[in-house]
Amino acid sequence: MTETSPATTITFIAYIACVFVLAALSHRLLATKSFLGEYFLGSRGLGSWALAFTFAATAASGGSFTGFPSLIYSYGWVLAFWIASYMVAGVCSMGVMGKRLNQVARKTGAITIPDVLRDRYDSTALGLFATSTIIFFTVCNLIAQFKAGALIIEETFNLPADWGYSAGLIIFAVTVIFYTAYGGFRAVVWTDVLQGVVMVLGITLLLPVIIRQGGGMESINRKLRERPPTLVTSVPGSYNDLVIQARGPLDTAGLLYRHPRRANAPLQIRWDAEAGAENRFIEVFLATDGEGRTTSTGNDVKRAIEHHPRLGPRFRVSFPYDNNEVATDRFGHRTELGATGVIGLDSDRSAERFVFLHGDEALFGPGRSHRGAPFHPLGMAISFFFMWAITGMGQPGTMLRLMAFKDSRTLKRAILTVTGFYSMVYLPLVFIFVTARVLIPELNAENSDKAMVLVTTRVVGDMGLAYQILGAVLVAAPFAAVMSTVDSFLLMISSGLVRDIYQRTINPRVSDRTVKRASYATTVIVGMVVTLLATRPPDFLQRIIVFTGSGFAATFLCPVMLGLYWKGMTRQGALSAMVGGFTVMVGFFLPTLFGGSRIDLLGLHPNLWGLFVSFGLGFLVSKGTGPAPTHLVERYFYKSSSPQRSLSTEDGGQSRVDGSA
Amino acid sequence: MIDPVFRNSLRECIFLLLLWLACCLYTVTYCYLAGYLVHEPHPAATGPSLGKLVGPLTAFDRHPQSLTTPLGLGVPDWVFYGVMTPWVAAVVVTILFCLYFFVEDDLSLSSAERDAPGTIHD
Repeated sequence: MTETSPATTITFIAYIACVFVLAALSHRLLATKSFLGEYFLGSRGLGSWALAFTFAATAASGGSFTGFPSLIYSYGWVLAFWIASYMVAGVCSMGVMGKRLNQVARKTGAITIPDVLRDRYDSTALGLFATSTIIFFTVCNLIAQFKAGALIIEETFNLPADWGYSAGLIIFAVTVIFYTAYGGFRAVVWTDVLQGVVMVLGITLLLPVIIRQGGGMESINRKLRERPPTLVTSVPGSYNDLVIQARGPLDTAGLLYRHPRRANAPLQIRWDAEAGAENRFIEVFLATDGEGRTTSTGNDVKRAIEHHPRLGPRFRVSFPYDNNEVATDRFGHRTELGATGVIGLDSDRSAERFVFLHGDEALFGPGRSHRGAPFHPLGMAISFFFMWAITGMGQPGTMLRLMAFKDSRTLKRAILTVTGFYSMVYLPLVFIFVTARVLIPELNAENSDKAMVLVTTRVVGDMGLAYQILGAVLVAAPFAAVMSTVDSFLLMISSGLVRDIYQRTINPRVSDRTVKRASYATTVIVGMVVTLLATRPPDFLQRIIVFTGSGFAATFLCPVMLGLYWKGMTRQGALSAMVGGFTVMVGFFLPTLFGGSRIDLLGLHPNLWGLFVSFGLGFLVSKGTGPAPTHLVERYFYKSSSPQRSLSTEDGGQSRVDGSA
Repeated sequence: MIDPVFRNSLRECIFLLLLWLACCLYTVTYCYLAGYLVHEPHPAATGPSLGKLVGPLTAFDRHPQSLTTPLGLGVPDWVFYGVMTPWVAAVVVTILFCLYFFVEDDLSLSSAERDAPGTIHD
């Protein structure tokens, strides 16, 4: 492991300083404008570059720069297919609803998505449900993003494993909470532009460097293919994982950790020479103590395999990256202790199963996990083409930005910029991390989220001083991606609480001064709560990000989209669509809370089922409860020539028009 | 009178959804048939999986040695034709869409809309 270079440290600090300066400038501007509209929506005055970069940077989250690289590192080229719908994600997520949403928001003066829903359907219940849902999914997402931010700092500055994550979390939280709370939406947008530029610049500079380091793409593919079959274990706990590589032709499917189901059992290894290669596993019966708890460490298993008369010559056993515990004595001498962690396995779990992966598998689909499950079967391929382009339209964080641009020309230019941004970021990331697979050592599942930072700090940083400076710039890219999402989400929660719940529901006559204080305080408190929750974060960031992104879309896409384009959409239809989509998403993911698997009905991701149910209910319930109130239809679908025509409120909204679009 | 912003936006919305559908059909079909070593059903699927419903596709299983890298770019053939090529095409269509199909509607409020009850001016 190399030390962090001074160039990295200085650049990183300079970057943080820039962010604070932007927040201070934004805060000064805030004092000259209407507080709520400026703090939460930038006074609806975003230009092309600001709109494009804040849109793209908000979408490119910690998932894009930690979770996505981790998946490319683990599964290879199939991630190009997984991310393929980004070819139309920019134009779809901005072009399908952008202009119309902006117009409707202007008509009502809405500054949040719940505002839009509440006004479009004239329903307080809808607004409150929307706010609650936003808070629920946003908090889940923020925990993952805070983890990503903390990991980036921990790995960038090479902080010790025992307190590095906590320190990284505190530094990240203080930085992002301060500039978001202090500067508001405008600071978030300005920092998004800075962060977007850093992301594109970082990726563009990194791509040729890393490919050259790997010897060119042809050579990289050849090295991937020639890698010996490899198995990496991933068991909860520290310093207990192993890497097992076949020395010659592979005649074994994988490894099974088994609990012997008795106390005081010794470590035993069984390998059935008679079984067929597809069913032949290295069975490791772990040692237990007097109370039946497993006591074998990774080192014990390594020694047992190496000394096994048949397995020793067949397999080479080593440690995944960062899983070799190092002790330093008082004279500064470092000793490698290896995998000293106990492989914990409950007696009620029959086995932990890991399989060997062949080098060829990184070049083709469907990709396999180290537990043998295919990564991207047909159902998932279809689901993920929906995921980025269609689901991307239904994100309140990005929809909010579509309410903030100043005119249609701005939107048009921003669509072109975002399309270029996505093309310059996502496909190059696949190239970079396919290359990383041959440049950095084996990572277990727990550590694969560090792949991006390892590439920028270890691979590039090891190439000399000039590259250390480049590496320093690159380190800021993933950090920027995480910050740009977190700041937007923090504001989204505080706007929900202050604007949607307090100002519009509890106390409409609240003073500007109180709103201002409440907005600052809420942003800080929400940030602190999420920091606490992120002290014990889950693994695999991308899964949480996919869950929350899908949840948002299943809840919001139908009521917003049909509300903009279908005159017949009623408030009952919108509420059914939201509740139905939300329930399906949470219900299908619920088993994961109890150690089970997500429900993939017909092999399709819950995202698709959530959208299907939401749109189905929205349509059917609206048909059953329609037609929609006349005054709402006239207001949002017709060009009014006079105030009297635009609103027929004198009849209390009782008159209705036919609901056909 | 129908709001022209609504009318134009709806037209653009339909165009973009059709563009997405075309990209989805091409990319998913091509990559799934040309880029997979094995075409196995989803083992974690609840009920019958889509893989089973479309029938056995083992005839499309790729042999690792059949891989080529077009134009010497070092990109696997199925990624080149299934992802990169349609990606470039989609970018071109997006540019054409913005130049010739997208209408620069006026989004500012008319005086009547500004004065309408229920409008909150921030």
